[in-house]
Amino acid sequence: MKLELVDVWHVYSPGTEFEVAALRGVSLSVESGEILGVVGGTGSGKSTLAQHMNLLLTPTRGRVLVDGVDAAAMRKRDLRRRVGLVFQFPEQALFAPTVEEDVAFAPRQLGLGEDEIRRRVQNSLEAVGASHLTGRFPHALSGGERRRVAIAGILAMEPEVLVLDEPTAGLDPAAREDLLGLVSRFRDESRSVVLISHDLDEVAEVADRVCVLEKGEVRAVGTPAEVFYENLDVAPATVRVVSELHGVYPDLGRPVRFGETLQALRGLLEA
Amino acid sequence: MGPNGGGKSTLVRLLNGLLKPDSGAVRVLGLDPAEKPFEVRRRLGVLFQDPDNNLVAPFVEDDVAFGLENLGVRREEMRERVKKAIRDVGLEGFERREPHTLSGGEKQRVALAGILAVEPDVLVLDEPTAMLDAEGRREVLDRIRKLRRTKTILHVTHHLEEVLDADRILVLNGGRLVADVSPERLVLDAGLLRENRLALPPVLRISHELGLGFCRTPEDLARAILQKAAKRAELR
Repeated sequence: MKLELVDVWHVYSPGTEFEVAALRGVSLSVESGEILGVVGGTGSGKSTLAQHMNLLLTPTRGRVLVDGVDAAAMRKRDLRRRVGLVFQFPEQALFAPTVEEDVAFAPRQLGLGEDEIRRRVQNSLEAVGASHLTGRFPHALSGGERRRVAIAGILAMEPEVLVLDEPTAGLDPAAREDLLGLVSRFRDESRSVVLISHDLDEVAEVADRVCVLEKGEVRAVGTPAEVFYENLDVAPATVRVVSELHGVYPDLGRPVRFGETLQALRGLLEA
Repeated sequence: MGPNGGGKSTLVRLLNGLLKPDSGAVRVLGLDPAEKPFEVRRRLGVLFQDPDNNLVAPFVEDDVAFGLENLGVRREEMRERVKKAIRDVGLEGFERREPHTLSGGEKQRVALAGILAVEPDVLVLDEPTAMLDAEGRREVLDRIRKLRRTKTILHVTHHLEEVLDADRILVLNGGRLVADVSPERLVLDAGLLRENRLALPPVLRISHELGLGFCRTPEDLARAILQKAAKRAELR
């Protein structure tokens, strides 16, 4: 499915002295089967943006479209099943006595049969590498394990778009890599992912397109090479190294991912 | 350092008496934190991960003073200490700001000031930058770096680049201490890194792969590449 934001504004506490415009006319599309990375500093509006994707927050002005249809006209329940939102630190919302029951909660609300619920719980726990935790008490798990269980709870709704708000914050490098693998597999099933992250290196590794938010506006959007080489202050380490060398070696190209950057630099030293 | 579930946060909680060991002993400056938690917490301050959980008061200066209010410090001295702590984290002028209007990096610095005001001997940082953006992270790390040599610092992190200038790195895995090494040794020990799910930051990974030694920043790495390329050209 295609998700579009058209001139979306969001003002918190309008008409009071605390009034803040967190989004100022954001237009953006998430195409079917792509990973869209969203980067930007604290206060740039990333989390506010995430919560508009399934209308958990409604725009003060502007519209959200699902396959061209106004999302406001859809049943909230359908919208939120199709657009799965994983909050920052989602493990804080775990509540059931066992991992299995926690992950089963959402599919049960959808009114699915027990067999189907079991299948979904199994599949989503497997997708996050947490099948072995089924019967455990969520609060006795480690931070990384709880994060994965919380994400499985959203996967169990089998959303078409997965919105992840800082999913790797606080995870160890191996757990981070596992999660990025999950994101790529999700895309390969031609579903789409919105990956909001302050880790530029990880966005560089998996995103098909990147959007830079700044003070509630879209500062840049495009392929990682286009965006990062034009906006070095938000570029990952790979791009910053190569751009330092462009003065002397203008033919280095514009590699972004780790592998292609290493290859380009190796070529330079072995030429 | 060490993988999730390795025991890092448990260790922090044992150090300030939030947890009690099932067996064995914990001593902080000779004191048992489980027996004397308040005396230990005056000497060992902990900065936790989530900036929103670290702040309690309506204004920045009240928040920084909060720990002191419970210690019975005289009013005059309290004012001095709060002022100094706010200066030490680079937040002069923020005294009357409300914490919820601050960025993540600023909130963490307020929390850090609150700990510094108590003047502890030991500073424990439990993934203090995990929730911050690049800029906030730089701000907080900068301040931590300035505190070096003034205090003992225990810095828990998943980011190797944050502790490259540490004196020692301890690796915890499966609840055991599996290594106690210098950063230089750790980054060269591929086996140790792999077994403990540690990853080199991209700049170090590239410099290793290209045989360029220990480069910390993209600029360092670019310089090393230019030098090596120039040398090759000369040899030819």
